Parts: sequence; C-alpha cells; structure tokens
Amino acid sequence: MFGEQQRFVLLLIAPAALLMLLFQVVPIVIGANASFRDWALYNPKKTWVGLDHYHAVISDPAFLYVVLPNTFIFMVVSVAGALVTGLALALLLNRPFPGQKLVQTILLVPLMVAPVVAAIMIRWIFNDQFGIANVVLEAIGLEGQPWLVQRWSAFCIILLTDIWLWTPWFTLLLLSGLQSLPKEPFEAAAIDGTSTWRVFRYLTLPMLRPVIVVCVVIRAIDAFRTFDIVWTLTGGGPGRSTELFSLYAYVLAFLNLDLGRGSAAAIIGGLIILVLGVAMYRLVDRIAKA
Amino acid sequence: MPMVTRPQFLPGLPNWSRKTFFALALTFICFAFAFPVLWLILTSLRPESGVYYVHRGTEFTLGNFKEVLSQERIVEAFINSAVISTLATIFSLLVTVSSGYMLSRFTGPASRMWFGTIYIFRCVPYISWVLPLYFVVQSWGIYDTYVGLLLPHIAVHICFFSWLMKGFFDGIDPSMEYAAMIDGCSRWGAFIRVAIPSALPAISALAVLCWLFTWNEFLFALILTGNRVPVITVVMAQFVTEMGLHWNLMAATAVMALLPAFLIALFGQKYVIQGLRI
Repeated sequence: MFGEQQRFVLLLIAPAALLMLLFQVVPIVIGANASFRDWALYNPKKTWVGLDHYHAVISDPAFLYVVLPNTFIFMVVSVAGALVTGLALALLLNRPFPGQKLVQTILLVPLMVAPVVAAIMIRWIFNDQFGIANVVLEAIGLEGQPWLVQRWSAFCIILLTDIWLWTPWFTLLLLSGLQSLPKEPFEAAAIDGTSTWRVFRYLTLPMLRPVIVVCVVIRAIDAFRTFDIVWTLTGGGPGRSTELFSLYAYVLAFLNLDLGRGSAAAIIGGLIILVLGVAMYRLVDRIAKA
Repeated sequence: MPMVTRPQFLPGLPNWSRKTFFALALTFICFAFAFPVLWLILTSLRPESGVYYVHRGTEFTLGNFKEVLSQERIVEAFINSAVISTLATIFSLLVTVSSGYMLSRFTGPASRMWFGTIYIFRCVPYISWVLPLYFVVQSWGIYDTYVGLLLPHIAVHICFFSWLMKGFFDGIDPSMEYAAMIDGCSRWGAFIRVAIPSALPAISALAVLCWLFTWNEFLFALILTGNRVPVITVVMAQFVTEMGLHWNLMAATAVMALLPAFLIALFGQKYVIQGLRI
C-alpha cells in the first residue's frame, strides 16, 4: 500500500503519534465533551447543558477581573523580568574574567530546583513570624510584613520566584546565542571606538533577536499555564486574589468537584493561549525570515 | 590585523577600583542567586529547637535527615520518583529521537502536518488535558500506578523534545547517511548506525533535561496519583499543609530532592551546554 519511504516515515512517528493520540487527543475530546455537560458527582446522568458552563465562566467576575488579569500580568512580567536578567547575565558571562566557570555554575543553580522546592524555600524565607526576610527588615528598623497574606506582596513574591527560577534558562540559551555570533562586526565597532551601550543597542541586540524571540515565545506559553509555584506558595490566596488560570480550573474541577465547569474553564484558557501561540509563531517566522 | 581592545566596563575609573567593583557586584549576584538554596541547606541542618531562629545559634545536626529517611512514605516517594524519571527518560528518547529525525530529514505534507500538530499541542495548557486525563487513566484501570504516571509523562515530552531534536538533526550533515545507504545500508541502518551516533551529544543533553523535568514535575503527579504511588514533589507539597510547623524536616526533604538533580546537572552541564549550542 505504501512505498518503502512512506513506511519508514510513518514508523518513525508512529509511537509518538500513538502516545499523543491516547494521552492528549483522547483526554481533550473527553474534556470538550464534559464541558458541555453537567458533570458533577451528584448528577450521574451527565445532562447536556450546551454552552452554560462557558457562559458561567465568562460571566464570573472572579475569572474576568481577577484570574485573567493576574494570568496576563504574570505572563508579561515574568517573561520580561527573566529576559532582562537573563540577558544581562549572559552578557556578563560572555566576557572572560577569572572564576567565570564557577559563576556560571552558580547562576545555573535555579534550573535544577523543582518549582515545588523553590516555592517551599521562598515560603520559609518570607514566613511572617520566623522568616529571614522579616528578621532582616526588623534588624534595620523596619516593620516585618505578613508577605504571603497580602495580595500585592504575595503576587510580587510569586513573580520574583518565577523570575529567579527561569532566568538561567534565558541565560543558557542567550549565552549559546552570543557565543555563536560572528566576531567581525564587534571588532570593527571597537576600532571605531563605539561606546559599550551603542554596541549593545545597534549590534548585539539586533543580531540576537531571533534567539530572543524563540525564547520569549516558548517561555510565554509556559508562563501562561504556571501552576506549581502558585499552588505551593499561596494556593491562590489570600482569598482568591493570586489565582492564575490553571488554578482556577483546578479548583473548579477538583475542589468544587464540578468537572464540567472546570473543563470549560480549561478549554477557554486553552483557546486563548492557542490564538496567542499561533500569532507568536507567525511573528517568529517573519522575524526569522527577515 | 589591528589590535582590538574591548570596550571598557565603567570607563573613567582607575583600573583597581573598576576591578573591585566588578568583583563585588559578581559576588553579590552569585549570593543573591544561591541564597534560597543556601538558606534551605542551613535550615535542614538545624535541630528542631533552633529552626525558628536559623540566623542565631550554632548547633547543627544531621538528625533531620535521619528522621526523614526513617519515614517509609518519603523513602518510597524517592524511589518512585527515581524509577519513573529514569524510565520516562529512556522511553521519551526512543520516541522523540525518531520523530525529530523524521521532522528534520523529510519535507512534504506529512512532515509539515506532524510539525503543525506538535506546535499546537505544545500550546495546549497542561490543565486542559490533565483534568480529563484523570478519567481516561481511571477508566483504563491505571490510575495511581507506575504505568498511569509514566505514559502521560512520555506523551507530554513529545512536542518539545521532537522540536529540539529536529534542530539537532538539522545541524548534522545528512550526506553521511546517504553514503551509508549507497553502500548498502537500509534506511533504518542509516538512522540507527549513522545518524544516532553523530547526534549522541544532543541526545545526552536531552536525557539530562528529560530526567530533571520528570523529577521536578508536579501537576501530573498531583492529579494522577493517590496513595499507592507517592512521588517526591507531591509528598513535599503535602508537607506544607500537613506538617506546616516542621520546617527543619521539610528543608531536609527538599535538600534531598535537590541532590540527585544537582548531581545529574553537574555531570550533565557540559552536555547540555554543548547540545543546546547547535
């Protein structure tokens, strides 16, 4: 039925395709089905309710005015913060200095830390009674803060943790990018006595742009679905003020045991990120070709 | 060739003060980056009585580690995590190396379609398919078993790793494979005996990343396992709520969870940096 080459091609992707079918496509179809039904524990009939769940999620003020803005603020600030620090560190590591290898190893440490472990460490450091953060503040005469039970300080701590966790990822990829840039333009600029800032602004940055864009796209998609650090740091609290979209769906499905509405929320989030993802892919394509 | 001097960092300052400033800044950055981990290690070494004032006192003990290791559930969780990470790494590589090879070596509608599928599924938030995955896994009778956690983990890596693998194979000249095929090698022979050995550094990099990702993964394990297959991330998260006051024990567990990742990363750092440079 197939030629030798087609058989080879199909066999190469068959295991991957089969696994994806069973563990991604099938669940997504079931989830889509559940999102149109009253899939709660007390209703064994799983009545068809059409778009009711979608309507309920979209008109939920918590989703519209807390969860969605939180998710987008989180995505933008976390990606921008990790990009800026990661780029700065990559530039630093790109110039030779004694101990460069050691510094590089230390800066890559957060890459190995599980988000859950990171969240536990940060919780301990910012513990309102015994955390070192408050000890230091009190030592210099300021008042200690109940960091994790106030909305904005909790949100800032979540953001800082995430930036800390993901900076090395940017550093690693940008450093590889920097080291593969051609040397000649930089030598020419040095001969002309160009200032450091202008070299960065008009040479390094434009030449590094493709790498930066790819990093940002991959990271932005991941940031949108962050779950573990928020779950372990604040559990979405105080109240529901630091909830992100993944937590919102999780709470609906597994704590409120309303799988129908949880699935609807998950699908709405999925659609948002799908549109964003395709748009970003187009952007990457255009920049890579330019 | 003319002599080229690098643009100076903070020009206008005398050399020694620039150097001191640079060294201080570096030390500060390294300290800030390592601080959370250092603090965790320090906490894990304090006895129960001293844990709330980690910054004071000088008693240190290894008792926390001993106590953690005497809890069966935690030891079991470590073993489970290690077994699942290792198996997931082996199977993920088997699956993604061939799929990445296909993406790199073949063009045409099949390849484009597969790439599109992979990109789209990479975008789907975990939560959208982990929620119903719970039903799937339960109806197949593999909820809370090794297989039930292993297979989704392999599936989740397919998209990203196929993408990376394609990049690695793109950087390897295919003419060696053609030469092997002219000499009588089959396509499979060319793939297994020629392409895979030349991609070995990249494959090692991927193995390191895959092991770390699986070891550190939380959401899947939280939803797909119950009491029979505890894994370390879930056990630690439960610690926070159940044993909120035993910070010394929690820190000891966290330090032990960091340890294998550190060893793997230390051993594998070279491969990762080499592998990702393509």
